[in-house]
Amino acid sequence: MNQFGKILKFELKNYAKNKAFVGVTIFLMVIIAAVMFFPRITVLFEKEDASDTPADLSVMLVKAEDPAQADMVKETFATAFTEYDVQITEKEIGAIKERITSGNAECAFVMNGATSFTYYVDNLSMYDMNPDIATGVLQQIYQMNAMIGGGMSQEDAAGVMSIQIDAEVESLGKDQMQNFFYTYIMIFALYMVILLYGQMVAMSVATEKSSRAMELLITSAKPINMMFGKVLAACTAGLIQLVAIFGSALLFYNMNKSYWGENEIIDSIFNIPPELFVYMLIFFLLGFLIYAFLYGAISSTVSKLEDINTAVQPVTYLFLFGFMVVMFSMSSGSVDNVLMQICSYLPFTSPMAMFTRIAMSTVPWYEIAISIGILIASTFGIGILSAKIYRVGVLMYGTSPKIGSIIKAVWKA
Amino acid sequence: MILELKNIEKSFGEKKVLTDVSFKAEGGKAFGLLGRNGAGKTTSIRILMNVFPANRGQVLIDGEPIDYNKIGIGYLPEERGLYPKKIIIDQLTYFAELKGMSRKEAVKAIDYWLGRLGMTEYRNKKLETLSKGNQQKIQLITALAHDPDIVILDEPFSGLDPVNAMLLKDVVKEQIAKGKIVLFSSHQMSYIEEFCDSIAILNNGIVALHGDLHDIKRDYPRDRLVVKTETPDAIVADFGSSCKVLNGGELMIRLGSPSEKKAVMTRIVENYDVDEVRVFEPSLNDIFVEVAGDGAKEDEK
Repeated sequence: MNQFGKILKFELKNYAKNKAFVGVTIFLMVIIAAVMFFPRITVLFEKEDASDTPADLSVMLVKAEDPAQADMVKETFATAFTEYDVQITEKEIGAIKERITSGNAECAFVMNGATSFTYYVDNLSMYDMNPDIATGVLQQIYQMNAMIGGGMSQEDAAGVMSIQIDAEVESLGKDQMQNFFYTYIMIFALYMVILLYGQMVAMSVATEKSSRAMELLITSAKPINMMFGKVLAACTAGLIQLVAIFGSALLFYNMNKSYWGENEIIDSIFNIPPELFVYMLIFFLLGFLIYAFLYGAISSTVSKLEDINTAVQPVTYLFLFGFMVVMFSMSSGSVDNVLMQICSYLPFTSPMAMFTRIAMSTVPWYEIAISIGILIASTFGIGILSAKIYRVGVLMYGTSPKIGSIIKAVWKA
Repeated sequence: MILELKNIEKSFGEKKVLTDVSFKAEGGKAFGLLGRNGAGKTTSIRILMNVFPANRGQVLIDGEPIDYNKIGIGYLPEERGLYPKKIIIDQLTYFAELKGMSRKEAVKAIDYWLGRLGMTEYRNKKLETLSKGNQQKIQLITALAHDPDIVILDEPFSGLDPVNAMLLKDVVKEQIAKGKIVLFSSHQMSYIEEFCDSIAILNNGIVALHGDLHDIKRDYPRDRLVVKTETPDAIVADFGSSCKVLNGGELMIRLGSPSEKKAVMTRIVENYDVDEVRVFEPSLNDIFVEVAGDGAKEDEK
C-alpha cells in the first residue's frame, strides 16, 4: 500500500508537470468561458445595433398575374418573412432570375395560381425554410378564402384558423428529451476521457519499457502496485480535469444565468437529478478504470512506441462498438432494445449502455445492481489480470507477442 | 550471510532456460556469475529478485527462504535506463522510496552518493543532458542508495572510462568490506578475476562450473606446457598435432595426462634450445572459453 501510494503520487506529479495536459485543460476552460459569456457579449453588441439605423433587408420578390393576388401575397408574406423586404415585381421570369443571380434580390416567389408557386433562389441552403413557410401561409389563405366563400364571416374563419390546442404531456417514466443532453454529454465525456487517458496510460507504460527504466521498476515495485498506481493516477488526473472543465462551466453559467434566459437544454444539463449524478460517477469511474487497465496491460507487451497504436486498436474498437450502439439507440429513441439490454451487462459496454438506459428509460433497481456488480467484479478482475500481463509483458522485447502467447505466459506465471 | 540458489528450474513456454541451477554467494565477498549471452544469467538474477517465480527450487538466505521484506537488494541492470526527461534527484528519490525508504532518508542517501561519485553538480538536471558514462553513475546510485544487503551489478564497467572504472572499483571494494553480498555478472573477465572470490559459469542454463576461483584454477588439470623458444620448428615437428603455436610465438604442448609432465619437460630441455618451459595455468578467460565455448558443448540457441 505504501509503495502504491508512492507510485500514485509520482504518476500524478507527472500529469501536473505535463505541459500538454495542463495546457489542454486551461484551453478547454477558456473555450467554456467563451461559450458561457457569449450571450452577455452578444447583448452588448445588440444594444449598439439597436441605436444604429435599421440594416438593409434582403429583397424578396413576389410576382402574380392577378394584381389582387399579388397584393395579398405581398401583405401576408411581409408579416411572415420579417427579415425580408418583400417587393412586387412585374418583370419577366428571365429578368427575375437575373436579379437573383446578380445578388440584387435574394429570392423570388412566382405564383402560378392560388395553390401553386415556383421558388427561385441563387444557392439553396440546407436550412432554407422559405418554401415551407410560404406553403403554410398560402394554405391558410386558401382555407380562409374557402371558408369565407362558403358563407362564414371573416372573424369566424379567422377564429377557426387560429384555434389553439391546449396540450399537456405527463411522462410517467423518464422524459427522454430532458435527459438526452446530459446523457449525451456524459457518454461523450466518457468517450473522450477513455480514449485520451487510455492512450496516456499506454504511453506511460511503453515509455518506461522502451527507455528500459522498466528493468529497474519491475525489480523495485510489485506489478500490481505499478498497474493500479498508474491507472488510478490517470483516473484522478482525468477527474480533476473534468471537475475543472465542468466546474468552470457551472461557475460561468451561474455568472451569466440571467443572459441565458429560459434555455431548456442548458437548464437540463445543470439540473441533473442527484441520483443520476451518482450513477454517472459510478459508471464513469468503473468504465474508465476497466479500459485504462486494458490499455496499460496491452501497451506493456509493446517494445517500440510506434507499435502502441496498432496494439491498442482492438480495445479501441471494442469501446467504439459500445459507443456506436449507445449513440444510435439514443438517437433512435429506443434505448431499451435487445442490443442495449445485452450491452448493459457486458462490463466493457455497460458503463455507457446501462447509464443511458437509467437516464432515458426506466430500469428496475435489481438490473442496475446486477450490472454494477458485474462491472465492479470485472474491473477488479481485469485490474489483477492486467498486472499479470504487465509483469510478463514488460520483460518481453522484440516483436509484439501474439495474444495467444501472452495468455499462455500469464497462465503459467 | 550466505545467499544460496538451490536447484532452480525455469522454463518459458516450451523453452527450458534454467536446469537445476545451484550456487552460493557469501557476504563480504564478491561472487561472479558468468555465462555467454543467453546462458540464463539474467533469468537467474530475476528469479533471485522475485520478478518471477522459479518452476522449482529455492532462494535461501542462511538456509531459510529469503524474505524480500527484510533483505534489501540493489540492482544495476545490464540494460541501463531511467527516465530521460526527469530531474535526477526526483527520479533517484522515487526509486529509493519504492525500495522502502522515507523521502528524507532517500534524499540524504542520494546526496551522499552524488557527492561520492562526483555528480553533485547534476543533481537538479534532467538525466538526458548527461553523458552516457555519467548516466551510468546515476543508475549505479539506484542500486546503492537504499543500502541493500545484496548488490547485483550486471556489466557494471561497460561504458566507463578508466577514471570512472577506478571510482567504481573503489565503491565495489567498499561494499564488499561492509560485508555485503556483491554479485557480479560480466563478460570482462579481468574485473571478475580482480574482485571475485568465487564464481559460477552458466552454460545453456546449467551450472557448468562453480566454486572458489583459486581452487578452480589450482584444480585445473595441469596437462599443458608452455614453451618459449627461438627455434620452434624442430619442436613442432617433434610433437606433431599435440603442439600448437600460440599468438605470442610461444608453443603450447598438450600432454596425454598430467603425469607425463616431468618426462616431457626433461625431454624438451635436453633436446632443444629453449628459454622457458612452464606448466600452463589457465586464466579465467581460458577457463570460460573452455567451459562455455562452442567446443565445450553444443552451442546454445
